Amino acid sequence: LRLICTTTTVQKKNVGASGPEKYTEAFIKKQIEEFNLGKRHLANMMGEDPETFTQEDIDRAIAYLFPSGLFDKQARPMMKHPTEVFPEQRKIQWGEDGRPFHFLFYTGKQSYYSLMHETYERFLNVQKHQDQLIAKDLPLQKEKRNLAGSRWLTKIELEEMLLEKLSDDDYLRFIQLLQKLVALPCADIEENYIQKFSKEVPVQLQKVVIEPLQYDERGVAFSTGEGKRKTARATAVVYDNGTGKITVNGTDILHYFPVLQDREQLLFPFQFLGRIGKHDMVCTVSGGGRSAQAGAIRLASAKALRSFVTEKEVEFMRQAGLLTVDPRVKERKKPGQEGSRRKFTWKKR
Amino acid sequence: RIMPVRWSRYNPSYLEPEVKKESYQKPLEELTEEEREQMELKAVRPIKAAPPTLSSSVFSDPMISKFTNMMMKSGNKVLARSLMSQTLEAIKRKQLEKYHKAPENEKETIECNPYVIFHQALKNCQPIIGLSNITKGGKTYQVPVPLTDNRKRFLAMKWLITECRENKHRRTMMPEKLSQELLLAFNNEGPVIKRKHVLHKMAEANRAYAHFRWW
Repeated sequence: LRLICTTTTVQKKNVGASGPEKYTEAFIKKQIEEFNLGKRHLANMMGEDPETFTQEDIDRAIAYLFPSGLFDKQARPMMKHPTEVFPEQRKIQWGEDGRPFHFLFYTGKQSYYSLMHETYERFLNVQKHQDQLIAKDLPLQKEKRNLAGSRWLTKIELEEMLLEKLSDDDYLRFIQLLQKLVALPCADIEENYIQKFSKEVPVQLQKVVIEPLQYDERGVAFSTGEGKRKTARATAVVYDNGTGKITVNGTDILHYFPVLQDREQLLFPFQFLGRIGKHDMVCTVSGGGRSAQAGAIRLASAKALRSFVTEKEVEFMRQAGLLTVDPRVKERKKPGQEGSRRKFTWKKR
Repeated sequence: RIMPVRWSRYNPSYLEPEVKKESYQKPLEELTEEEREQMELKAVRPIKAAPPTLSSSVFSDPMISKFTNMMMKSGNKVLARSLMSQTLEAIKRKQLEKYHKAPENEKETIECNPYVIFHQALKNCQPIIGLSNITKGGKTYQVPVPLTDNRKRFLAMKWLITECRENKHRRTMMPEKLSQELLLAFNNEGPVIKRKHVLHKMAEANRAYAHFRWW
């Protein structure tokens, strides 16, 4: 099982949670002092004001003073704050007599278990509060938290927070406990605590700019769109006040796409918006196969139709899957196998 | 939470597209709580592209597409699709023949819509309970097990297709064989319905082992 599509948060490796302590506190403090001094010297050298010298200015100054042609950005000279350079590590967990400070030290994952205990304590707290409200016959609060705009912390972010390695099962259990806590009606009391573990998802819509309609010599409104699918690339020009004629690479669709399924795909955006007889379309397409070209033209026409239609309908088109580029492509053949998935015939001897 | 998905090109946070036009025209008040939450979720998350077999027109039916895909051999969708349309045409022709020959009072009971016949035939062929092999103490037992909706539909379609491919005369065309099977299944007769009953009887016979199931 391998994740193919991952966000950058998942791909960052967590260096801090592993390994014994290498840097003492005093050492890091000294590094910070040296960094600040060096920052002031650098500002003086560049002729800038030492008080208002930001990290970006430092990066630019270093790139100017020490130009490097190395490809790997991490290998070039850099001057960053010591907390970024030396990853956060756990201080020694036991005192001079050898006795550990935390009571859960011998479990091995002390911060994880203490976190679970704390979350469960708050869960019981909320239940007690709920019981009190029921005893007094007061109504329970029913304001639902907006789940759609937030996500829980990923496993890697949680590991960074706890400075300790977690297993997948541990992470799952913690998320299940949090979900149970959120599901209770009176969970608003612990809102602060829950917010520590949830993050805002940036609003997906990413306001794509819808181009305004253009007008050609006869005064007819038209708009263009581009689409692709597998290796096919298509451009479509949709004209207003039309009869529903569609031309592909100079030929009519009935001649270019003899298969019914492809023609259905071409008409899909128009049928969805209810504008079958109202628009004319002229498209050019190249590359790919029969079905890929149909998919490419479908995407191109859907993008072109955005300019003719209200924002709500654009949102409906997006939710119907008409405006997303299909990422599926042919999987590569691997060495030691006959195709992308098929292995060679297994022979016993 | 990100779950590892086996080799999907899409990020697991992508949702399935909703193609039917009617679901977008419902006014806000008619929606239930769950539908409102679903709507809010859809507004935030990205959505997968609609596959080429799915369309919002009246003629595209997900069950018919599934059946066509199961009939397809070596990726020849054109042939499978033409066979399917010929089957539906054959069903319509047979039903119309029966309709015109029938006396006045029986004309209303004869169903002419091939889609309705297809759906009803599939429903009649679906088994309710299935058998699964569970090995306990060295011996493998056939244990009766409840089936999910997807599995039931898959078994019904698979039985219809294998029945037509294997147990008929070699020279008959597939649309002919399929239309015959579908009409028999619509009336609860025919070899596929018999196979379903045989499976049910086996499950009833092995009732004693039902407690071997742990899920």
